[in-house]
Amino acid sequence: VKELIRLRVNGADVEVAVRPNATLLETLRDDLGLTGAKKGCGEGDCGACTVLLDGLPVSSCLVLAMQAHGHDILTVEGLAENGQLHPIQQAFVEAGGVQCGFCTPGMLMSAKSLLDSNPAPDDMQIREAIAGNLCRCTGYQKIVEAIRSAAETLRRHRRPA
Amino acid sequence: MPLPRFEFCEPDSIAQACRLLAESDGSAAVLAGGTDLVVKMKRGTIKPDLVVSIARLRGSPIRTDNGKLIIDSQATMAELGSHPDLRGTFASIAEGALAVGSPQIRNRATVGGNLVSARPCADTAPPLLCWGARLNLRSAERERALELNDFFQGPGETLIRPGEILISIEIDRPAGPTGGAFLKLIRRATLEITIVSAAATIVLDEPDGIVRNARIVMGSVAPVPLRARAAEDALCGERVSGSSIDRAAAVAASVAQPIDDLRGGAGYRREMVEVLVRRALVLAHARAGGGR
Repeated sequence: VKELIRLRVNGADVEVAVRPNATLLETLRDDLGLTGAKKGCGEGDCGACTVLLDGLPVSSCLVLAMQAHGHDILTVEGLAENGQLHPIQQAFVEAGGVQCGFCTPGMLMSAKSLLDSNPAPDDMQIREAIAGNLCRCTGYQKIVEAIRSAAETLRRHRRPA
Repeated sequence: MPLPRFEFCEPDSIAQACRLLAESDGSAAVLAGGTDLVVKMKRGTIKPDLVVSIARLRGSPIRTDNGKLIIDSQATMAELGSHPDLRGTFASIAEGALAVGSPQIRNRATVGGNLVSARPCADTAPPLLCWGARLNLRSAERERALELNDFFQGPGETLIRPGEILISIEIDRPAGPTGGAFLKLIRRATLEITIVSAAATIVLDEPDGIVRNARIVMGSVAPVPLRARAAEDALCGERVSGSSIDRAAAVAASVAQPIDDLRGGAGYRREMVEVLVRRALVLAHARAGGGR
């Protein structure tokens, strides 16, 4: 039997009927068509399914959809605005922080949460923020550079004119 | 792997949650953060008919009442890791919480889950044991308090009964200059299960004075987090010195009963836990204002 849950996804209020045993990841991908978050290990080790729940990164493969009722979810689809990449996404493109792309949505969400709470992180803080996101392509260096560069861009944008 | 089928409910009150658990006759599972339970359900090692989410029973992560520190069982590792009440005396609890998993895990995993899961490597258990924590449990019939010291019975086994919910964890604030520390050995900086760990607390009678009370607890060296009572006793009643710490660390390591597994060999663990106990004692003593 499915039950109706209400949640906010990428700024829009959504009602969706879910099975009690559906994960948030399955609901986002299969019911809401948001296939940005990826299923990797399915056990919370790889970070490919990372989304923000009330602003904090979580492994959506370990969150039941029922637990997301009444909460605010941000996925990688919610980063770009008016067809413009978010500065963090743009920085990943420019720094070469994307290779196969499978870890990228999760990396972006961990980076977003970091920069929302800490606009000027040092490299160790960046590495700690993405410690739960595995990347088998880049060796992480380009990703760290991308997040550092995005932090600079965002600080410039925030500075009052 | 999809999750097996179950019913889900999220009661509004402790009483209602306890009633649901009592009526389920052992076929229900309590869900807090889910980082452990959901994995076990995916693997099929736990197959509940009913999952009772206790999310609506959450209180403030930490509060102080009559000098006691009260930690909500659903405080997340991230909340404990950044909580201002755990920056001074009780810093070792934050150190344990921040040693768990990844940011994603720490944002969901709860301290109650870490204790009830009762893994020998649980990182919040050694510091909480060092602080003499008590557990408040509720069931449909009764409310009871247990010493954390008595709680762990074996890997995954505790004194919690079917139908009981861990509500909160209480710690008395020690009198006198006090310091604690938690250290763990892992092969890389993050997202690692503990090879060995050590927590220590030291209470002095006055700054740089005589040890009035000491606690040493080691992780991943026995079926349960292991207290080293003889080593604690050896420290009490004396001023701390390099040689008293060396002696206590050796005594602590001698009671360890580690096993060989993929994370480390028993001999390696016994050697390393001695090093970790020594370092934890040095740090706890310095934090208590000793050795200045």
